[in-house]
Amino acid sequence: MLEQLLIFTRGGLILWSCKELGNALKGSPIDTLIRSCLLEERSGAASYNYDAPGASYSLKWTFHNDLGLVFVAVYQRILHLLYVDDLLAAVKREFSQVYDPTRTVYRDFDEIFKQLKIEAEARAEDLKKSNPVVVGGNRKQQATWQGDGSEGKKNGGGLKGEGGLKNDGGDGKKGNNNNNNNNKLENGRVNGSNLKSNGGNVSVNGKENDSSNNGAFDVNRLQKLRTKSANGKKATDNVVSKAEPKKAVKKNRVWDEKPPETKLDFTDHVDVDGGEDKDRKVDFLAKEQGESMMDKDEILSSDSEDEEDEDDDDAEKNSKPDAKKKGWFSSMFQSIAGKANLEKSDLEPALKALKDRLMTKNVAEEIAEKLCESVAASLEGKKLASFTRISSTVQAAMEEALVRILTPRRSIDILRDVHAAKEQRKPYVVVFVGVNGVGKSTNLAKVAYWLLQHNVKVMMAACDTFRSGAVEQLRTHARRLQIPIFEKGYEKDPAVVAKEAIQEASRNGSDVVLVDTAGRMQDNEPLMRALSKLIYLNNPDLVLFVGEALVGNDAVDQLSKFNQKLADLSTSPTPRLIDGILLTKFDTIDDKVGAALSMVYISGAPVMFVGCGQSYTDLKKLNVKSIVKTLLK
Amino acid sequence: MQQELEQWKEQISHLLNVANDYLREVPPNQLYAAAAIVVFTTLLLLSLRFLKRTKSNTIVLTGLSGSGKTVIFYQLRDGSTHQGTVTSMEPNEDTFILHGETTKKGKIKPVHIVDVPGHSRLRPKLDEYLPQAAGIVFVVDALDFLPNCRAASEYLYDLLTKGSVVRKKIPLLILCNKTDKVTAHTKEFIRRQLEKEIDKLRASRSAVSDADVTNEFTLGEPGEPFSFTQCSNTVTTADASGLTGEISQLEEFIREHVKP
Repeated sequence: MLEQLLIFTRGGLILWSCKELGNALKGSPIDTLIRSCLLEERSGAASYNYDAPGASYSLKWTFHNDLGLVFVAVYQRILHLLYVDDLLAAVKREFSQVYDPTRTVYRDFDEIFKQLKIEAEARAEDLKKSNPVVVGGNRKQQATWQGDGSEGKKNGGGLKGEGGLKNDGGDGKKGNNNNNNNNKLENGRVNGSNLKSNGGNVSVNGKENDSSNNGAFDVNRLQKLRTKSANGKKATDNVVSKAEPKKAVKKNRVWDEKPPETKLDFTDHVDVDGGEDKDRKVDFLAKEQGESMMDKDEILSSDSEDEEDEDDDDAEKNSKPDAKKKGWFSSMFQSIAGKANLEKSDLEPALKALKDRLMTKNVAEEIAEKLCESVAASLEGKKLASFTRISSTVQAAMEEALVRILTPRRSIDILRDVHAAKEQRKPYVVVFVGVNGVGKSTNLAKVAYWLLQHNVKVMMAACDTFRSGAVEQLRTHARRLQIPIFEKGYEKDPAVVAKEAIQEASRNGSDVVLVDTAGRMQDNEPLMRALSKLIYLNNPDLVLFVGEALVGNDAVDQLSKFNQKLADLSTSPTPRLIDGILLTKFDTIDDKVGAALSMVYISGAPVMFVGCGQSYTDLKKLNVKSIVKTLLK
Repeated sequence: MQQELEQWKEQISHLLNVANDYLREVPPNQLYAAAAIVVFTTLLLLSLRFLKRTKSNTIVLTGLSGSGKTVIFYQLRDGSTHQGTVTSMEPNEDTFILHGETTKKGKIKPVHIVDVPGHSRLRPKLDEYLPQAAGIVFVVDALDFLPNCRAASEYLYDLLTKGSVVRKKIPLLILCNKTDKVTAHTKEFIRRQLEKEIDKLRASRSAVSDADVTNEFTLGEPGEPFSFTQCSNTVTTADASGLTGEISQLEEFIREHVKP
């Protein structure tokens, strides 16, 4: 059973909620959804699971970006409601017609919703009975109707209206019939352009995806039966695009919207990419010579305006060729008039370019992908303002998303925490964890130096009892900084050593204990278990993950595995996860700052420090603005 | 190049001559009148610009997520909370005549009110609205205050040390929301707690300031415990209850800084 269906603005005002359902939700699933999913740039996902004491909900949502509306459906997770996607799409379609920004009460929508719900449930019932092929057909119908509602020019408006919704079988055929008429003409071309956008297709957001997938597949079958003349053409094309027939045909839904693009365009597109790439490389070079390094950017108190301007120019230059090649007249007309509503297909080229750009900056592929999905979800259906290009709109949206991700969610003011711990008369414990050779000990020493500068009594604990020489290395640092070190030699259980170190610290009045641990690969189960034990036993105030900025795709693996292992192997019911990130070797990567983004995105933890050199003073804070700027350059 | 320049010069001098001749033909009275009109209109435009800039009518609602900003926004605008709110993802922004004043006669200047989401990821948005603000309302959840005290005071500290706030001395109101509940803390208590927390923050933040770039100004006077009276801008406190619509003190604050 559906628990609740809400319609609210992005500003947060609930416009309509289903009173008839009216079940009081346990906990606050909606707020949690917004905070931990939609605002974390994870809105590209298909559903969200919410657990509260006594309830476990699944939430599905869809946006109407142009009107700034969000539709959320909540249902019990144990029930796999098949009609929720359907229902959401229908509600979205109907509600956008009655929506008026000045109105805040929509009583009359109750009736419409009742109707929609009955229909959706009926469809779901049918769906259970009939075989999967028809399932596809039904769903497809849904998808095309949605198209009708918004565009009103497809299919000649033949099967619009409520009547069609009810008797599924007959109309389904009709719908496909109509579709076929279009398809006949454009079969060859559709497949051609599909091939082109294979890559982009992945970035479609999950929800409508499967439904239209199935539908498209079904249409294909019907076509084979019905339009034999077209088949010949299609078959040849299919050979080319056989690799992903499902995904390829999914594009059907969009072709109508596009200006006639033939196969010629396909080659053109490649050209575009090539040109862009070159352009970008040139850009790189220019920057490598002219731009100062990250560190300098950070020292400067605020970014100067003209630099930003330069940046904009850069962006424009970057996006210019791809706007030009598309046919300058149409693009110019578009930019002046402002496009009606952005479609996924419009966004794809710009998003792909952006994704590539992020990946050249060493952002993990998975992350770049997810980000692009989320940006697409937030832009789709939006009106393009006049005198703007799609690429610049996408870029602005991405910039906003990046700033949002990198802005720390929790306070990164460690000194404040240290003072708070001091008041409670217990030492503030920081555990440094990470894989081998990322610079845990070195940066531990840097942090110690930084704390010393601010009149905090620091103590080190050498809990790397695994690698030979680790204790001596730490001892050298301690001697140079003239701070006490707690060591118990090798072959001891690090958890016990840390425990004793903390006891010692509270005895001698140290404010902070910095615990050095052995480096470990994220897949090394025994060592991870030991780490989990150390953290569980000592309950540190801060678990600092030390990661090197050089890492690319592995950043995701490292952090997610560390977090997962800490959670899985912990014996306590509320496992401690990674609280913060220390990014090392930041001076070696020039503009490839993507690791910072990958790590923050995957863990949700903020970057607390950045190590950017060999001496004790080379510890900085992350400058979000400059990182975002570098990422989008 | 030289030749081109010469040509240009010639042309310019020619044009000047023509203009001169034309001017001589026009009676001087008309000339003076024209000049006067030009001067007058520019002055008028400039003064209008200036007036507009000084008399901003923007009030910014800020505070932690879940403190009730959106509810207050709709209370101010419509006098009702409608069907409740969820966490905001985007700022709410509107220019309107306060709902409590719609019955009043005479011309009332509408107020531009912005409700900035409190989620920490969305805080950078605040910077867009601060420069034009005539007043800032910092909404605090008086019911659930102590667990959020540190986060709230950190946010408030950041707010009070923002360059645009300090330089323009934008007045700030700490609005203790949800006071309709019995267990809500009093505004005096909240004020004291916030001052205490900020005092501690001052110590730790000033230590970081060489590395941290966001805080350009320091708060209060060194050596003394911090109190809001030391701020360059005025900081006041008030009670409100968004759910029941008890927001008269807030309306007073708004009208104090956005003259009707």
